[in-house]
Amino acid sequence: MYRYIYIIPEAIGRSVLRMCASIGSIAIFFYDFVICLFTPPIYIKSLLSQLVRIGYNSLPVIGLTAFFTGGVLALQIYVGGSRFNAENIVASIVALGITRELGPVIAGLMLAGRVSASISAEIATMRVTEQIDALITLSTNPMKYLVVPRVLAALISLPILVIIADIIGIMGGFVVGTKTLGFIEQSYIKNTLDIIELRDVMSGLIKAAVFGFIVAFMGCYHGYNSTGGAQGVGRSTTLAVVSASILILASNYILTSLVFTN
Amino acid sequence: MDHILKINELSKSFGDKSVLDNLSINIERNKSQVIIGGSGTGKSVLLKCILGLMEPDSGEIFFNQQIMDKKNRADIDFHTKIGMLFQGAALFDSLNVQENITFGIKKLESNLVNLTEIAVDKLKKVGLDSSVLYLYPSELSGGMQKRVALARAIARNPELLFFDEPTTGLDPIMADVINNLINEVIEEVGATAITITHDMESAKKIADKISMLYKGAVIWTGDAKDITSSNNPYVDQFIKGSSEGPIKINLND
Ligand SMILES: Nc1ncnc2c1ncn2[C@@H]1O[C@H](COP(=O)(O)OP(=O)(O)OP(=O)(O)O)[C@@H](O)[C@H]1O
Ligand SMILES: [Mg+2]
Repeated sequence: MYRYIYIIPEAIGRSVLRMCASIGSIAIFFYDFVICLFTPPIYIKSLLSQLVRIGYNSLPVIGLTAFFTGGVLALQIYVGGSRFNAENIVASIVALGITRELGPVIAGLMLAGRVSASISAEIATMRVTEQIDALITLSTNPMKYLVVPRVLAALISLPILVIIADIIGIMGGFVVGTKTLGFIEQSYIKNTLDIIELRDVMSGLIKAAVFGFIVAFMGCYHGYNSTGGAQGVGRSTTLAVVSASILILASNYILTSLVFTN
Repeated sequence: MDHILKINELSKSFGDKSVLDNLSINIERNKSQVIIGGSGTGKSVLLKCILGLMEPDSGEIFFNQQIMDKKNRADIDFHTKIGMLFQGAALFDSLNVQENITFGIKKLESNLVNLTEIAVDKLKKVGLDSSVLYLYPSELSGGMQKRVALARAIARNPELLFFDEPTTGLDPIMADVINNLINEVIEEVGATAITITHDMESAKKIADKISMLYKGAVIWTGDAKDITSSNNPYVDQFIKGSSEGPIKINLND
């Protein structure tokens, strides 16, 4: 009977230990990454192909989601604003909401789904089919060859994608605002341009770079440490997407509250 | 005697499960050494320790009389002196045959024409022609993948070649083709070869010396021709492929 008293503390202890272990192994992975980032060789060709794959190929997805997000934001703000006769704030709130918050977060989450998953599946498959071991026996550091180009590509791509998402998202708001909510085009544009400041856009872009790093880094980390065959590939893909999404939302809160509240 | 590789009392365990248990083996230069042993006796783990893909718990590995710790491995560029044929070929999916074969060759030293020439030359050695140069691994059959992987393993003219179960999963004729290729390659490159296999036909065909692994240690070593007259009950049972004998298969293991 007494044995059962220990079950719960034991389970808690085990999961705390497991969490500490994975934080430790992420830290070691990050340390290796930083070392490899600053030592040659740099694989320019794979960096370029990752830029195409992570950045360019994400354009349609991010453009579409940004457009609909901007549109729906306009609709909702209109409903909310009209409750205290402030319909005119639609343009301003859409502009600020998209550049400061929704642009980077939506783009980050879309990239977490699209890119974390595919990076992690790819690297995990390379792990279970011994391609990573093969890289090492061919005198190639897998961290430099696989991880650095992907993380750099995401870090560079996401801010650029977010600029595009900002423009398309604001355009989505503009289309809905002028076509269904009856705003006048010139004044909608003027309201938008009046409210946006450089620091709104910049704060979004800095967030985007952080999210880009998180997306690729989590994909690489979970893929690289995948074990257990095909099932392991699936598990690492899930872990990559879930952890990247959670980290994006958590770091978004932290960044906003610490740095970007003014 | 001239040993290219000496392994001294290597041990490795995972958790409380001991896989290599004070394993020692010496590999003679320019000979073909085959290591046989049942599933799970630690053959692949042994190879990974030698290659530096896995850290042993204790023991030493000497390559050309030099101890292979992390520093020495990097100093002498150990991996440029070896070639490895992985069990599942482990070709890079995203690269074509030519890029796979010449992957380990430094791009700076040789221009593009040269790389293609090298690839064609190595392909010829494994019985393939230039028509496969620009195919991707997924477009090749299993046997062709093994041959391309073999071409990749010999591309840097290594001193020491490792083959992890080179014939597993191939039909008997293709297995024999691979065996012949291995023999030719060893002769031509003048390398030392270490082959892991369960395939006794293959072992007899390519081995100068055979060692048998059991429970993480070498229990028999001898010339390939003596394998049938070893008087070792473990070896006899293994080459006969009988379930009766001193080796007990623990089905729960
Ligand atoms: N990374 C690892 N983590 C935990 N256990 C491992 C790991 N690698 C190998 N093992 C264990 O070590 C033992 C030996 O594995 P190994 O792959 O060397 O066997 P093997 O002799 O190559 O067998 P086979 O002929 O079937 O390939 C196995 O019981 C396996 O469970
Ligand atoms: Mg094995």
